[in-house]
Amino acid sequence: MLNSSAALFRRISVSWLMAPKFKPRRLPPAADPALPLERSTKLARTMSTHSSIKDAFSTYADYLNALNEKRERVVKASRDVTMNSKKVIFQVHRISKNNREEVLEKAEKDLAAVRDLHIFRLVKELQGTDFWKLRRAYSPGVQEYVEAATFFKFCQTGNLLNLDEINASLLPLSDPSLEPLQINLLDYLLGLADLTGELMRLAIGRISDGEVEFAERICRFVRDIYRELTLVVPLLDDSSDMETKMVTMLQSVVKIENACFSVRVRGSEYIPLLGTGDPSSFLLGVSEVEL
Amino acid sequence: MKAAFRNAYCFTLSRYSINPNPTILHLVPAISTFPSLPSSVFKNPPFRSPVTATLCSTSMASGDSDAPQTSPSLEKQFEKFRVQLEDSGSLRERIRAVVLEIESATRLMQASLLLVHQSKPIPEVLEKAKTQINVLKDLFNKLAEVVRECPGQYYRYHGDWRTETQMVVSLLAFMHWLETGTLLMHTEAEEKLGLNDSDFGLDVEDYLVGICFMSNEMPRYVVNQVTAGDYDCPRKVLKFLTDLHAAFRMLNLRNDFLRKKFDTMKYDLRRVEEVYYDVKIRGLATSGDSVEDQGTQGQP
Repeated sequence: MLNSSAALFRRISVSWLMAPKFKPRRLPPAADPALPLERSTKLARTMSTHSSIKDAFSTYADYLNALNEKRERVVKASRDVTMNSKKVIFQVHRISKNNREEVLEKAEKDLAAVRDLHIFRLVKELQGTDFWKLRRAYSPGVQEYVEAATFFKFCQTGNLLNLDEINASLLPLSDPSLEPLQINLLDYLLGLADLTGELMRLAIGRISDGEVEFAERICRFVRDIYRELTLVVPLLDDSSDMETKMVTMLQSVVKIENACFSVRVRGSEYIPLLGTGDPSSFLLGVSEVEL
Repeated sequence: MKAAFRNAYCFTLSRYSINPNPTILHLVPAISTFPSLPSSVFKNPPFRSPVTATLCSTSMASGDSDAPQTSPSLEKQFEKFRVQLEDSGSLRERIRAVVLEIESATRLMQASLLLVHQSKPIPEVLEKAKTQINVLKDLFNKLAEVVRECPGQYYRYHGDWRTETQMVVSLLAFMHWLETGTLLMHTEAEEKLGLNDSDFGLDVEDYLVGICFMSNEMPRYVVNQVTAGDYDCPRKVLKFLTDLHAAFRMLNLRNDFLRKKFDTMKYDLRRVEEVYYDVKIRGLATSGDSVEDQGTQGQP
């Protein structure tokens, strides 16, 4: 239908263009035998234009509706991922010398649940397409997941969970006939930046509990990450939010370093309870004070 | 099953060990609690965890022995990232180079189209502007070639050519309207630029924004045409813009850039209505007007 209308348009527009400029651009004088045909074809043209615009726009409306609905579902799935990843992070924060195994065990289970339930739903909603188009919709969830997974891995093994490793763990979630959801570099790095904040909190917390060595371990780890990131971040496409995170990251590193420094300067390798009555403690007789 | 395993292990231990090694006993909970994750997921074998636990509570010296193991794998990963980012960075530069050329061809097209406001005859103006269409077609093909190198990443780099594409669509649509009085469709626009949906397509939202930009040109065009003496123009433009606005109202838009551009369309429509009114009440539009109106009213 469109092609024949196009031919009609051309025929009519040529006759219009040939007419002198300021004459009304309407029907030529009635003497012209071709005239009635022109009039009806003109009406037909207007009608078909009208309906073809409506048809075309109803296609566009369908396209936009489908896209926006998909986007909404992806956002919802992403929010679930965020919320549950945060729970994993809080769980790992409860770690201490005494409960290490149980805390990590629960965290691992919860992390697997985030992956198998919520990220799985994200994969289902994306259906193997629009990964880049809808990235903004699910990026926050993915970043939080990266943060939780790397946080857990560090507490378990002291190492950084690689992007390849985390993506390998997501492969089973996708239908083999579809493109799998793979975390892209930018989201991984953004998650990593947030990880350093959590590690800073963990380090300060561990120092309060007397686990100075763990804190120093964290300090070295965060320093390494920061150093590596300084070389990579400037190369990112849109590095603006990463740049602000780098500033915060350096502050976190400094906070950890200062805390370790205070501990070293003020005491020996283990911190006895303040206000202790232990005669060998150099803090004998000191009243309780916030560290 | 895990409990049975643990019991069997303990049983074995108690049967054969004289001095149960505390490390072995630590290993037992590690085995029984470790869930069935693929071992490829975690680089380090599970047995490391109790060892790490003991390391954590010892002095810094033993902590150091872990540090060299962390750095090389960390460095390797980040080295890989650097390489990846440099590649995508250079791809982006190539894209930007093509987009700059698109921009300059667009400017040429726009400059020649601006002559319609000065009442230059339309065919002449269109002739000049049309020469740029082929240039643009070639440039978009070049862009498609560059992006084809990383399949599926059209939307990763889409922001780099989005505004330019919208401008191109608006100019093409304006030219199409000057020529035919009708709206350029999405598929027609794709065709003109030599794009296709399966490879490198024209994003629907870019097309719609381009159409909104085109409608922004209408009030100015109408005003200048009337000044030059064409009193019939307002009627045509009004009809066109009313239909266009009605069609746009069929869409459900989010509160994004497209929505904002659509909102400006009603102001364009209002301005054109005002011009049409000015011309009509002064009787400047010729009486053939009513015939045409009856014709249009006859439509469903």
